Amino acid sequence: MKQFLQIALGILAAIGGFVDIGDLVFNVEAGATFGFQLLWVVVVGVVGIIVYSEMCGRVAAISKRPVFDLVRERTGFSAGLATLIASEIVNLMTCAAEVGGVALALQLLSGLPYRVLIPLGVLALLLLSWYLPFEWLERVFGYIGLCLLVFAVAAFKLVDDWGKVAHGLVPQVPATNHAVFLYFAVGLLGAALTPYEVYFYSSGAVEDGWGPKDLRINKITAVIGYALGGFLSFALMIVAAMLFLPQGIHPQLIGTPALGVADVLGEVGLVLALVGILFAVGGAAIETSFSGAYNLAQFFGWQWGKKESHAGAPRFALSWIVIFLLAMLIVMTGYDPVKITEYSVIFSAVALPLTFLPILLIANDPAYMGSHRNGKVANVLGILYFVLILAIAVSAIPLMVITNGGQG
Amino acid sequence: MTAQSLDLGLGVLDHQLVDSEGRNCGKVDDLELGPLGEGEAEVREILVGGNAWRARGFLGRLAARLGGQAVHVPWSEVARVGAVVELKRTAAELRLGRGDERARRFVERIPGASR
Repeated sequence: MKQFLQIALGILAAIGGFVDIGDLVFNVEAGATFGFQLLWVVVVGVVGIIVYSEMCGRVAAISKRPVFDLVRERTGFSAGLATLIASEIVNLMTCAAEVGGVALALQLLSGLPYRVLIPLGVLALLLLSWYLPFEWLERVFGYIGLCLLVFAVAAFKLVDDWGKVAHGLVPQVPATNHAVFLYFAVGLLGAALTPYEVYFYSSGAVEDGWGPKDLRINKITAVIGYALGGFLSFALMIVAAMLFLPQGIHPQLIGTPALGVADVLGEVGLVLALVGILFAVGGAAIETSFSGAYNLAQFFGWQWGKKESHAGAPRFALSWIVIFLLAMLIVMTGYDPVKITEYSVIFSAVALPLTFLPILLIANDPAYMGSHRNGKVANVLGILYFVLILAIAVSAIPLMVITNGGQG
Repeated sequence: MTAQSLDLGLGVLDHQLVDSEGRNCGKVDDLELGPLGEGEAEVREILVGGNAWRARGFLGRLAARLGGQAVHVPWSEVARVGAVVELKRTAAELRLGRGDERARRFVERIPGASR
């Protein structure tokens, strides 16, 4: 019973933690531009992140080593360093995008100026990360992030014909506007397959001392947590499709979907949506800054960990503080946070094969994994997704340029 | 560590160093080898950080320029080679604790650093 409760709580936190600024931006824009036609891509993305993070969790539980430790050991210093640099750039951009999202949500909630709220938001995140024990952080942000479920309620109220929605789950490509469609497809996949979540998850598993007995929990959390998280993505896209597509609204601010909820559910709905966005995005900001610190520490062999006192792992602590501050500086330039989000997702898609390949190799390596190495299902899916990831990586930037960031 | 044969490329290089108190204290960034008779070599030292990266490819050369002097740890200080390389003494005694000490000076100024 206690274990069941633990799993349930973990899954709840995973659902609340699934949506980040990349999902918000791309799901809403995709819904506003193509209605339900891209829903099936969300399914492809969710299955991908399930496959990928189950593998990482399993590698962590069996080898007792986190991802970046293995990336370096397996690929050597030079290739490992290249992967590290690419990951750190993507992580920092993603963290900046999340910080921008925090400031925008705070602005809509408080009415204070955006520029003032950026440093205030970062200060709040720094203080929470410094003083709160980690389980608390994870749970607080995960649970309050569940306020995003108002989007599901709004979607239920809005949809009159579920047949049309279901039709969106069938893989399809529209008759025209192919490039923009593909750009959004790549963006949705990039937003779903975020490496930082995987680094974070695997480092946590190593720190919690996972072993073979935890493989079942690993599988359950990955499958159910991400699948249910995927429903939030659906809800965002459906709400945007119902409200913005008919009126030709191109949502430019992350607050737009929240205002959409206000249309259906009134002021309470609006506040819940904004609070949900604030905590989902704030939690993701913490995860990205910690992921960046994990990667550095694991590559260079520093003491790391969220259970360690800050003075006990000083370079790790300093790393996540510096990442937060750099992210703040990027957002303070006044560059549009939605644009930062789009860039971060697209560059993340470009760098994805670098992190996916070593994990796939290690998960297949009997020297590390023994009898727990990838089975047939994990391998067929793993290889299919690796091919898909390569295609995404190659096409992401050309598509962004051709479509002018989805503007067509 | 007594003499034994090891696959250096797979078994030691780029592995985690752990000191006698179980704390991470860098990676095996390079190895200093010496001749041991006919076609064989023995490991004399582990090189950690800074210009130890020199020999590690193009990016390593660039990184080595930014890093300082490598720390040399004699192979006799190695207690055990497994998934990680365990050392016989503490990081501070082997001069592997400098990076952490420098960072700690900043971090400790913030209240609550050692909760």
